[in-house]
Amino acid sequence: MPHKIISLISVGRHPQSGRARRSDQDGRAVELGLKLSGSQLEVVHAGDSEEPVLRQYAGMGLAEITILEQDQSMDAVASLSTYLASRDADIVLTGVRSESGESSGMVPYILAEALGWPLVARVADIVEIKDGTAEVLLALPRGQRRAATVKLPFIATIDSAAQEARQSAYGPGLRANMVAQSGANELDELRANWSEAPAKPRPKRLKMVKAKTAADRFKAATAKPAGGSGKVMKNESTEEKAQAIFDLLIEEKVIR
Amino acid sequence: MSDIIRRDPRAEWIIRNRLHPLHDQYVSQEEGGEIRGPSGIIRKFPHKVGFIGPNGVKRIDRLKGNAASATGKRSSATQEVQLPLHQISSPEFYVVVVPDLVGGRLTSHDKDILGLAHKLISEHGGQGAVAALCFGEVKEEHFDLAGVDRLIHLNDPAFDGYAPEARVQALAYVDTQLTVKHWLFPDSVHGGADLGSRLAAKLGERPATQAWQVTAEQVVCRGASSSLDISRAMPRIAMLLEECGDAIDETRHEASSIEFADIPLLEGHIVDKGLMDVDPNAIPLAEAEFILSAGNGIHNWDQFHQAAATLGATEGASRVAVDDGFMPRIRQVGATGTWVTARVYIAVGISGAIQHMQGIGQVDKVVAINTDAGCDMVKRAALSVIGDSEEILSELMALVNAHRNQASSESEENSHAA
Amino acid sequence: MVIDWLPSVLIVALLALGVIGALRRVNLWRAGQPEKVNLIAGLLAMPNRYLKDLHHVVERDKYMSRTHVATGGGFVLSMVLVLVVHVFNVQERIVAWALLGALALMLIGAFFVFKRRLNPPERLSKGPWMRLPKSLITFAVTFIVLTLPAAGILPEGTGGVVLIVVLSIGIVIGLGELLFGMGWGGPMKHAFAGALHLAFHRRPERFGGGRSTGLKPANLEGAVIGVAKPSDFKWNQLLGFDACVQCGKCQAMCPAFAAGQPLNPKKLIQDMVVGLAGGTDANYAGSPYPGKEIGNAKGSPTEVITAGLVSQETLWSCTTCRACVEECPMMIEHVDAIVDMRRFLTMEKGETPNKGSEVLENIIATDNPGGYAPGSRTNWAADQNLAVMKEKKEADVLFWVSDGAFDMRSQRILRAFVKLMKHANVDVAILGDEERDSGDVARRLGDDATFQSLAKRNLATLGQYKFKKIVTTDPHAYHCLRNEYADFDANGALEGVEVLHHTTFLNQLVQSGALKLDAFKGGKVTYHDPCYLGRYNGEYEAPRELLRSLGIEIAEMERSGFRSRCCGGGGGAPITDIPGERRIADMRMEDVTETGAELVAVGCQQCTAMLEGVVEPRPEVKDISEILVGQLVEEVH
Ligand SMILES: Cc1cc2nc3c(=O)[nH]c(=O)nc-3n(C[C@H](O)[C@H](O)[C@H](O)COP(=O)(O)OP(=O)(O)OC[C@H]3O[C@@H](n4cnc5c(N)ncnc54)[C@H](O)[C@@H]3O)c2cc1C
Ligand code: SF4
Ligand code: SF4
Repeated sequence: MPHKIISLISVGRHPQSGRARRSDQDGRAVELGLKLSGSQLEVVHAGDSEEPVLRQYAGMGLAEITILEQDQSMDAVASLSTYLASRDADIVLTGVRSESGESSGMVPYILAEALGWPLVARVADIVEIKDGTAEVLLALPRGQRRAATVKLPFIATIDSAAQEARQSAYGPGLRANMVAQSGANELDELRANWSEAPAKPRPKRLKMVKAKTAADRFKAATAKPAGGSGKVMKNESTEEKAQAIFDLLIEEKVIR
Repeated sequence: MSDIIRRDPRAEWIIRNRLHPLHDQYVSQEEGGEIRGPSGIIRKFPHKVGFIGPNGVKRIDRLKGNAASATGKRSSATQEVQLPLHQISSPEFYVVVVPDLVGGRLTSHDKDILGLAHKLISEHGGQGAVAALCFGEVKEEHFDLAGVDRLIHLNDPAFDGYAPEARVQALAYVDTQLTVKHWLFPDSVHGGADLGSRLAAKLGERPATQAWQVTAEQVVCRGASSSLDISRAMPRIAMLLEECGDAIDETRHEASSIEFADIPLLEGHIVDKGLMDVDPNAIPLAEAEFILSAGNGIHNWDQFHQAAATLGATEGASRVAVDDGFMPRIRQVGATGTWVTARVYIAVGISGAIQHMQGIGQVDKVVAINTDAGCDMVKRAALSVIGDSEEILSELMALVNAHRNQASSESEENSHAA
Repeated sequence: MVIDWLPSVLIVALLALGVIGALRRVNLWRAGQPEKVNLIAGLLAMPNRYLKDLHHVVERDKYMSRTHVATGGGFVLSMVLVLVVHVFNVQERIVAWALLGALALMLIGAFFVFKRRLNPPERLSKGPWMRLPKSLITFAVTFIVLTLPAAGILPEGTGGVVLIVVLSIGIVIGLGELLFGMGWGGPMKHAFAGALHLAFHRRPERFGGGRSTGLKPANLEGAVIGVAKPSDFKWNQLLGFDACVQCGKCQAMCPAFAAGQPLNPKKLIQDMVVGLAGGTDANYAGSPYPGKEIGNAKGSPTEVITAGLVSQETLWSCTTCRACVEECPMMIEHVDAIVDMRRFLTMEKGETPNKGSEVLENIIATDNPGGYAPGSRTNWAADQNLAVMKEKKEADVLFWVSDGAFDMRSQRILRAFVKLMKHANVDVAILGDEERDSGDVARRLGDDATFQSLAKRNLATLGQYKFKKIVTTDPHAYHCLRNEYADFDANGALEGVEVLHHTTFLNQLVQSGALKLDAFKGGKVTYHDPCYLGRYNGEYEAPRELLRSLGIEIAEMERSGFRSRCCGGGGGAPITDIPGERRIADMRMEDVTETGAELVAVGCQQCTAMLEGVVEPRPEVKDISEILVGQLVEEVH
């Protein structure tokens, strides 16, 4: 029996230009959904059905996208949880964190709590679904993976290590159906009280040396700043050169 | 020799047991040797007063316990400055920090948050204590120096490995048992963000996420892919970015433990199947932490592959090495290949054409092995060694092998000794 | 005599069959999409186009051009006279003599065709084409003998029945090839299809010495965007494919073919023919796509081309250098066809290979292929003190910077050019952060939607300001602005504006004395013609004149001017990066090295990048503006 998979999508934001785009992780969630259930995949967005970015998702070969029509200031979770509760899905896929708005990453957790489903975070792949249980691979930093199983139905947040979203094709994107239905109309009151401003640059913390002695302070003040050009070893013996590399590898903890 | 450690099991037991009537007395003996006698007079413990100076002479402590303690440790050797102890005897509330404890130790991120926790307490006023809540195996030895007043260590096997369901239930349980003013989590990929989000969802709180400027009243959070600063009232649960606060470095803390017995746990739906054994060469190039990359200056390819295996590095290549058929296309680093993010990138016999450099823009430390000291890769590298790649690689392999042998014989020794 | 009538009947029968075949062929073309062509004017212009334009190209190979005039001209003439003499039985001696003359001419031609075919170069197709000279000779000899009595050289009835039978066989062979084969897909199809192709060519501007190189806009509203199936081509494109004579001149010029990438423009056109007629490529007797066997391709007008006829890598190997188009005697438009098919792959299937999809995504989200912050476009010019149009509103020259703005190497070219302009006191301004990618790469990668959007937005920006000239150092942007934006320039933003490449503009400055330059004292110099400057825009002279004005005697490469070999950097080829046996840039660098030059001058940042990507030691690579800057005579005030 094919499993019912739903991917949730949002409006992303390009890191350089700040323009709306297909969000990276949501795109991967759609990609994984397509891998698991092909054309059966249901893709859902809570927001504006006129949003052009939805066409970028549709360009991945989606015949239609379900839109829970609501205003930006409304709470997306309310619409989504009502909708999902009615859909009897096996797996709901989302990104880890949205690229626009609050970017709290809380949506999947609140949905999981509301539906009473388990949630697995930072999924790199769903390897197999068998007997009501899915075998998932979780992404850990630096290419490491953890295997786990989880009972259906569940929510998975998709990590940036998952299979990259396929290219979006203009034609199918243009022709896809945007099926809108009205979403919940709960104002996000808490958020209304927040103030938002463009991000202030965060100065990187200087390596503050709390010098205990005058000599330390002197050393800290006169030490060569990090960066600049590196060390070049030319006339040393081969052993010394290799030792220098070895020391660096130990210092950087890539060799243990 | 006063150096010899004489254990006093009874004293140790009393010190461990907070509920023992003599607990306070023993603890303060340990610390500075002053106790208030039943009549209210301050008494000194003559054996505890003072410390052993650097040349072995006993000296009177006029620093009131701020000097190194003479007991319990081989302290004549340690010249560390003994920091003043920060004590909270009966906390009115807690700020609970759930550290990542990567590899069982506090990360610098964890320490920043512990520091921030103290800042929050002092802003709130009153008797608050910072509690660190740790799961599973803990190797950290200096909770006291990191600002941990109370340590909650839950090491029931149910919390081992990947157990987010059990862990969040434990957190929620602790929340019912202590007065927690704030729950603080590192907003990290090491599990902090996940656990924090779970707790927030469970408790129905709207957490502050990616918080970086925090006071007791207000918090500034990054939003919209770090392009937005959202200012809002400081909620009960917060997930914090690195460098959100300053780590504790001028006080010592009790790090006394709070025990919770029999936390009720419901069975979960997620089963951990363990870490995968990932071959360095199976790691996607873009994610690899350590890359050994080959260019046109490699002439002994068997040796190169062997070197990568010995170093435990992921293999990369310049386009020329790929074009010439020595390396597969997926290994190509650069404009038309992969853009890597490695922390250490060793470029062996790669000249540093601009198209190659594009691919290593995000690399932290580049090491160049090249016969040409004037090439662009040398300009980019943190360390360059000029010489023949084959010789240097073979020497490097020898060093690494020696290091590994030593390490393994040591661990063998240890296991024999045990 | 009993079977005297046989030859005439055979002629009529074969002619009729030929006509039926031809009508059938016409129907195959009509399966294509409608395209407005002035039929009458085209037909009227056809002889002239044939004699002038086509022969202008064929003329490059003197042997073949004479041979073709003799054979083709002889055949057309004799065919008309054959009808007059042998079918309508006109008994004028003079006509018969004329026929004999025409046949003799054709025979001579056919003989030379035969000779060429004794040891054919690799580029020529074999198979039925090897038979053609023999058929031609058979035709000529047969009709010569058949006409001898009419000319009064032999008495009527010579040879009797035997000869008649032999001649009839000759007629069947000769006319079978020439008339029947013409309509039914034999080698002679080229004459019939070729003639109509010239008449109904999709780019009539190319005739009479004109140039038409801009791609045609894709229809973004259709049920399918781009070309999926042969029937998605315009009807006259299909007709064009049928005109191919398999001479292989395109193949011999194609850099991708030479690099061992899986592309052969001749085979591609032949595959299109297979597609439009239905069938397989089993009968194809030319060189294959490198690394791909012949015989596996099959298709039909209604089957998706990339699902069995042509592989996707083939389409992505092309650098859009137009060397094939420039060389094709039949004026077939390979690049249009390739991009049409790419449009389908990108806009319908989303299958742009390798870095393609990433680059397109970047262009969409940031208006530049590298995905850099649009607000950092002018960072390179922070110390250049350049006026920005937003403030200046009006200038003589608008300097179109192009995406080289984000690339450190290209910035050196930009700075050199700015310095030269300052020196010549040019009233210049740039668009600054308002400039966007020209859309060149997006368009060549088949994403016409993005190209059109960029073109429209760029035009809207340009429309706000006043300037007389646009000058750019990037031939790709130059081509877009000059040849491709007009289709979208509804408000005339570029009307009356001269679009120039920087070498043209600098040459004007040098010739007018606004720039004073010292003689160049380095070693030997050669010049590489960028495709988008040369073949796309016909500018071969200005860069050379500039170099000469420095006293440089250019050591020309064997392939230069309109025959210049691509550097491998066009058409998004470095992005799709289809593997071959060699790198195109390496081959081009070999061309350079052969001249003994120490420095290769170029006029394009992309060529610079490609040629500098060749492993050292190799000659130095410099943009002409960089060379000029080194020779500036600093005026002392
Ligand atoms: C459009 C385009 C895209 C490209 N994309 C990429 C890309 O994605 N990735 C990429 O890598 N390249 C790319 N290139 C190619 C790039 O320009 C260079 O040609 C290539 O990176 C050079 O490779 P290399 O450094 O291995 O070779 P070389 O330039 O030949 O360098 C070899 C180096 O090895 C040193 N050497 C020689 N012998 C020894 C020895 N015994 N011991 C130690 N050192 C020795 C030499 O001093 C030299 O520095 C691209 C080029 C173009 C035009
Ligand atoms: S345009 Fe250039 S690369 Fe493309 S087929 Fe023609 S000759 Fe080959
Ligand atoms: S396409 Fe043109 S150049 Fe190529 S083989 Fe055919 S006729 Fe010749």
